[in-house]
Amino acid sequence: MIRAVGKPLEEVIGMVQDYPRILVAGCDGCVTVCEAGGLKEVKVLAAALRLYFTQQGEPKQIDETSLTRQCDKEYLAQLGDRIDGYDAVLSLACGCGVQFLADMYTTKPVYPGVDTTFLGVTEERGVYTERCQACGRCILADTGGVCPIARCSKRMLNGPCGGSDKGKCEVNPEMPCGWQLIYERLKALGQLDRFEQPITPKDWTTSRDGGVRKIVREDLRV
Amino acid sequence: MQLEKKLAEGAFVVLAEMEPPKGVEVAGLVSQAMAVRGKVDAFVVPEMSSAVMRLSSLGVSLLLASRGLETVMQVCCRDRNRLALQADLLAAGALGIPNVMGVAGDDITFGDHHTAKAVDDLTLEELLQGMNTLMTGRDLAGIELKGAPRFFVGSTVNPGAAHLEAELAALDRKLAAGARFFITPPIFSVEVLDAFRKRAGGRPMYLLTTVLLLKSVGMARYIQRHLGQIQVPEALVSRIQKAPERVRECVQIAAELVKAFKDRGVSGVVISTLGWEDRLPAILSAAGI
Ligand code: SF4
Ligand code: SF4
Repeated sequence: MIRAVGKPLEEVIGMVQDYPRILVAGCDGCVTVCEAGGLKEVKVLAAALRLYFTQQGEPKQIDETSLTRQCDKEYLAQLGDRIDGYDAVLSLACGCGVQFLADMYTTKPVYPGVDTTFLGVTEERGVYTERCQACGRCILADTGGVCPIARCSKRMLNGPCGGSDKGKCEVNPEMPCGWQLIYERLKALGQLDRFEQPITPKDWTTSRDGGVRKIVREDLRV
Repeated sequence: MQLEKKLAEGAFVVLAEMEPPKGVEVAGLVSQAMAVRGKVDAFVVPEMSSAVMRLSSLGVSLLLASRGLETVMQVCCRDRNRLALQADLLAAGALGIPNVMGVAGDDITFGDHHTAKAVDDLTLEELLQGMNTLMTGRDLAGIELKGAPRFFVGSTVNPGAAHLEAELAALDRKLAAGARFFITPPIFSVEVLDAFRKRAGGRPMYLLTTVLLLKSVGMARYIQRHLGQIQVPEALVSRIQKAPERVRECVQIAAELVKAFKDRGVSGVVISTLGWEDRLPAILSAAGI
């Protein structure tokens, strides 16, 4: 899932301080799961903002809501009849949600309340790690199910680089070496011969290098 | 050196584009450059234009410099990060390349290695700013250099841009970032130039217009169809079509454009012959240069 972290309060204050009426809008999707932008975080942030502006002697109207998803129009449309009551929206959705909200309400300033960080997993509550960079053509079949693009610091497709030490990455000794993980996994699977066939230079057109990406599923269109 | 000095004196300059080869055979390029030595003020060496992999601009610039020829080296944001860009600029500075121009680079998907990853670490404006930072004796991390390079810095501007407003805003950012000369993409009519200069006039810059030698009707048609930002007037195409000696007509057209731009008072021209560098002397003499 998409992982995000709340922006520092000072940064959020800097973005919204000029608006008297602000709607803080959460998303019940990924950012709720990683506890960065769901209704709970909306309430905490709205309370902090109210407190701050009241202490500054300029209280504001700061309201709270959360949408099922901010990456689907039908849920964004639910704001339609109340959005004019606000001067700005602070969205706690991922970057996709913030943009889609702004796309729908073109004259309303929409600000991001979280930093969208990566596609990752929950190692344990409150600890998330990156697993995928959405390269658009998955090569996990060749790498024992461990992604070198997301999990090797150098994004090497034919690792290891030679700098790994006791299973840790030379770039950051706190971090497991992605290629050590690939090696261990291929060994456990009895597929070490994969190392004998180097991966050819990757086609990055399916990643960001081919421009903005789009999926059209004719079978799903109505 | 000579280019900056001549421009400062208000003289009309003539530059020739020297497309590096795809490979290491450079003898032809060197002899063609030597053949027009003295007639052109500097050679512009593109850096993998159209995102087609070729010998680097730095390499060819150094090669020509070693024969005593002045060059304008292109530095491109697409393929190098800020370390590599600065490293190449220091190499150019240390080995006597006086003129550098920053270019953004065509998108990788247009070239012959379309599956590659683009770099684009710095924007064009940041790169231009970076060139000037190096000249102050510091790198982009603020660390002091052992000896600062000295460059005459330029970039690109497109008078035929569909959104001239945005182009002028970009031009202002490039000027603010320290660019002083600007080379246009190929222009085939003075009207495009006039319209642009009317809007851009008064800015402190040297404008060098590119004259592209059309080699055939097919080439003109290709540009019309595929390169939206370059306009080839239909009249020119039919002129080539009707000419008894087409190649001669193409040379004549290029020469007329050179002369027309000179008469219009631009700072100079860049003549691009795309492999027909041996026609350069004919173009220049027909243009009365
Ligand atoms: S190979 Fe690509 S799609 Fe597969 S996990 Fe890695 S980044 Fe994600
Ligand atoms: S040590 Fe391992 S994870 Fe780190 S860069 Fe080298 S191969 Fe990649």
